[in-house]
Amino acid sequence: MCFPRIIPVSAGHGEMPTQKGSGCLVMLDTFVTFLGKVLGEDVESLWGAGVVDISIPDRPKLKFMDKVPSVPKVRREFKNLRDIRGPSTEATEFTQGQYGILALGGGYLHWGHFEMMRLTINRHLDPKIMFAVWRIPAPYKPITRKSLGQRMGGGKGAIDHYVTAVKCGRLILEVGGHCEFGEVEHFLTQVAKKLPFPAKAVSCQSLKEMRQAEEERRHKNQNPWTFERIITSNMLGIRKVLSPYDLTQKGRYWGKFFLKDRV
Amino acid sequence: MAAAALCCRGLCRTGWLPTLQIVRHAKSVTRHWKAMHFERQKLMAVTEYIAPKPEKCIAPRSKAVTEENGYAKLLRWQVTETFRDSKMIAVCQHNFTPSEEMLLMKHRLRKHNIHVKFFPNEIVRPYLSVSKYKNLLPLFVGCSLMLVSPEIKVKEMLRILKNVPQINLLGACIDNTILSNQGVINYSKLPAMAITQGQVVGTLSLMASQTCGLLQHSSAHLAALLDQYIKQQSGGAGETDGKAGEGQAELGPAKSSAGL
Repeated sequence: MCFPRIIPVSAGHGEMPTQKGSGCLVMLDTFVTFLGKVLGEDVESLWGAGVVDISIPDRPKLKFMDKVPSVPKVRREFKNLRDIRGPSTEATEFTQGQYGILALGGGYLHWGHFEMMRLTINRHLDPKIMFAVWRIPAPYKPITRKSLGQRMGGGKGAIDHYVTAVKCGRLILEVGGHCEFGEVEHFLTQVAKKLPFPAKAVSCQSLKEMRQAEEERRHKNQNPWTFERIITSNMLGIRKVLSPYDLTQKGRYWGKFFLKDRV
Repeated sequence: MAAAALCCRGLCRTGWLPTLQIVRHAKSVTRHWKAMHFERQKLMAVTEYIAPKPEKCIAPRSKAVTEENGYAKLLRWQVTETFRDSKMIAVCQHNFTPSEEMLLMKHRLRKHNIHVKFFPNEIVRPYLSVSKYKNLLPLFVGCSLMLVSPEIKVKEMLRILKNVPQINLLGACIDNTILSNQGVINYSKLPAMAITQGQVVGTLSLMASQTCGLLQHSSAHLAALLDQYIKQQSGGAGETDGKAGEGQAELGPAKSSAGL
């Protein structure tokens, strides 16, 4: 097996880097990255590890996230807790990295969490062989607070800080490079424990396995009564005590919590 | 307050349409674990995951063929020997007997050369189904014991068994004849062999003996009548006329019968 060649690729993927190396090698790299973009998934998983060179981006470390967005919000927003509730629709699959942190519950991440994550990951990253990317935006949702000792009423409080909403099943950050899960797992779990919602360090493989296991559990279930069945046919008029969200959540979510033992 | 007003307006009227719904409710997404409605709790409990049972629970495990015990072989040999040697085999149901009573019973039976045998049913039943004693199979169910003997002493055995209430006679095989409980009792009531033989001989020779008597009967009768006549002649001389006539009348038929 040939030793993989590590060639840094600039941020602009479409461009032809004319200054670096010999022409044929450059062509190969760009072809590979082009394929990766076209196929839309991790080329390594398609072609097998060790065959394709994983390109480390220019800035392998996690970038700094602002406390306050560059255009701070004027309009104070509603609490809008449904951005925490239920399963996530975005950032559920791996794009650039091979390992990451998966959220197993809903919650808000504020700047303190971001800093913690950034510092821990950056400390443990080896920038020559590993890289990490954020999969969540910088804090955007304004949270208001009234000053201490205020009575109820008198209008909504002033914006105190900003947070990012995270739903269950979303990837927080991704780590990739020429490394094994075992090396990366250690600090990813360290970070995952400190998050305000339950989270876990996953790899591409382990995530797939988790989903397959869930699917298998669903199929192997011997109980003829399932939540979905009872609620869709409204047996016993049970929908009187259930929410319309339960139709889609099917008893696996309760508020911001994810009940992973449910099927 | 506004909501309450809205609700009141809606509910009071007849023919009311539920267009005004209650808008205010408790928060659904909380930091703490929100308590579920009891009905919902029940629903969650009912719809829990049930794991499939492992396959060995459904299909019966095929028993590995075990080698026969040496002890089992010995027992089987003993059974064959017992059945071969004994002429009388009685099968009894064995309920719990105190050991002293059991000992006494065994002692009494031993005096008449009757042995008490216990064999496990698993050994006896296969042997019986193969041998000629197939009809004894229904007797060997449950706790049973066998009384075996080379001689046939049914009366004594029954008497001893009557004293022990815990042992009930089920059936017996005496001289290759299978007898039930009643049959055994009847058998015991029969007289001994010598007597029966004598009776048979007597019955057979009855006709022969009768023939002899029959033949001698007429001449004996004639002789008796003549004796009587002589007595009358000698005894009553004055009444000879009447007697003679009677005697002649008697003689007449006697002669005719003798002539015949």
